Amino acid sequence: MPRWKLSSPKIPSVIQRYGLAILSVVIGLGIGLLLERSHFHDVEFPLFLLAIVVTVWYAGVGPGILAVVLSSLAFDFFFTEPVYSFYVSRSELPYYFVFILFALLLTWFSAVRRRVERDLLQSRDELEQEVAMRTQQASLLNLTHDTIFVRDMSDVITYWNRGAQELYGWRAEEAIGKRSHDLLRTVFPAPLDDIAADLLRNGRWEGELEKTKSDGTRVVVASRWSLQRNEQRIPIAILETNNDITQRKRGEEEVRQLNQELGKRTIELEAINKELEAFAYSISHDLRAPLRHMVGFTELLQKNASSVVDDKGRRYMTTILESAKRMGTLIDDLLAFSRIGRAEARESIVNLEELINEVRSEVAQEAEGRNITWKLGPLPDLCGDRSMLKLALVNLLSNAIKFTRPRPQPEVEVGCAEKQNGRIVIFIRDNGVGFDMKYANKLFGVFQRLHRPEEFEGTGIGLATVQRIIRRHGGEVWAEGFVDKGATFFFSVPSQRR
Amino acid sequence: MELLGRILMVEDDPKDVELTLTALEEYNLSNEVIVTHDGEEALDYLYHRGKFQTRANGNPAVLLLDLKLPKVDGLEVLQQLKSDEKLRMIPVVVLTSSREERDMVASYKLGVNAYVVKPVDFHEFVNAIKELGVFWAIINEAPPGSIKKK
Repeated sequence: MPRWKLSSPKIPSVIQRYGLAILSVVIGLGIGLLLERSHFHDVEFPLFLLAIVVTVWYAGVGPGILAVVLSSLAFDFFFTEPVYSFYVSRSELPYYFVFILFALLLTWFSAVRRRVERDLLQSRDELEQEVAMRTQQASLLNLTHDTIFVRDMSDVITYWNRGAQELYGWRAEEAIGKRSHDLLRTVFPAPLDDIAADLLRNGRWEGELEKTKSDGTRVVVASRWSLQRNEQRIPIAILETNNDITQRKRGEEEVRQLNQELGKRTIELEAINKELEAFAYSISHDLRAPLRHMVGFTELLQKNASSVVDDKGRRYMTTILESAKRMGTLIDDLLAFSRIGRAEARESIVNLEELINEVRSEVAQEAEGRNITWKLGPLPDLCGDRSMLKLALVNLLSNAIKFTRPRPQPEVEVGCAEKQNGRIVIFIRDNGVGFDMKYANKLFGVFQRLHRPEEFEGTGIGLATVQRIIRRHGGEVWAEGFVDKGATFFFSVPSQRR
Repeated sequence: MELLGRILMVEDDPKDVELTLTALEEYNLSNEVIVTHDGEEALDYLYHRGKFQTRANGNPAVLLLDLKLPKVDGLEVLQQLKSDEKLRMIPVVVLTSSREERDMVASYKLGVNAYVVKPVDFHEFVNAIKELGVFWAIINEAPPGSIKKK
């Protein structure tokens, strides 16, 4: 910036200022005396005026007045008759009076002019400072990657930072002077008048806006508007900052859609569950009744008509009864199986050792007359639904008892295998008839049996029930075995409450 | 001879009716059984309505109630009965095929006196019916106002 700077005037000391008055008058006097010697006349008057003006200009009013006084005395002493005397004749008084008046007038003009100039300089400096500050602020705004722009009350962009350029693709030269809503094709969530009213009332507004980049892509931004007012409280500009939340909105939208989908699925599942429940309910009611009738009337037949029926007929009746009873067991097991899925799990800390002993005494009658060696390892507490876990263990232990039946020295072992990544693994091992590992995947299916009914009775629902219970606890169940070498059933449950 | 209470049976399935009556016959209880085939008929009996308009006064000593019934189901009959000042004293035994917990809970909440699941096994069924009949018609002192027969 070109400057003809007089710099902010350094204020000279009092001695310097008054010294200047004396010096300039002395110089003026010296020059006047020299010129008089050289026979120039009447130059002393302008010389003294010049000295006064210089003094006033550089040293101010006080020294100026001193210069006037000194000049008057010097003039009187050196240049008016009688020379070298301060005597002033009456006739010369007006002359002096005019001189002093004129000098004072000059002094006054110079002082005013000086003051005006000083004020001007000062306000110029202030302005320069302000400009520097503003420039610095503007370049600071440019440093940030946040999108910031300023628009006036008629929506014309007056400032556009680098963040704005980065987000919207318009350069400052392109953006400034345009109407921002047109340039960015802003879509407002509410009528613009309402937003403007809100802004004027609160001095600020926040909301989500949809805008368009220079390449035509839409962005969703979190927008904050701040109203700038001048000293008369009249709104003059709006500072708008934008944050690109397109990704976040997209994420939110996806989450919302997923939730909606999930909600729909849940409703569907609930409906299916209700249907299943109704189904199980009607099985419970309606399937049992005909069975009861089959059994009932066959027994009545056995009782009343056995004399007229031959052995074959009696065997048929026995078969009918057995089949009906077996069907009754199947229905009961199936209902129990379906109930696991429907019943609400009641979680608690289950003492597994206690539970195993309870289960053992419950299945004891199945082992009647046989001397089973039980090996019970230390067992941890589990977290789960006690009655469900009990049902699972009843199934597993009664299986162990059932399939060790051919053994002269049956052994059943229950223990806790090593904990695997936060899961407790429990195993039930027997030395029974075992199974072929190639059928291991069939073990847990409903109605899947690996033995003929004559060998081992059962409905084929027990292990399916076990699997369902363990899965409801967030665990898994699996088995290892060899034909005639026993079987081991494992189940895992999370060691912590879900 | 002891006093015999009258048994009101509500059962829509004729085969169940027959089996029940057969079971009660052995104790000569079957003559005192009134059979109604749905909830509405049972309520008609209790309120002397319809074809029971002219029946003698008095309440049954016990009501054997199936839950799954046409028109008015067992739980509705139970609710109606237990909310009526004159009928609420009649002992009610739910006799049903349902082992569902919600049926049981609903029945007890309505104030049922016993809940019996019909056993699939005939012997058990007969025994259950006999014991019920003997207990409610003979052993139990029926509330005042019940029909009794020497």
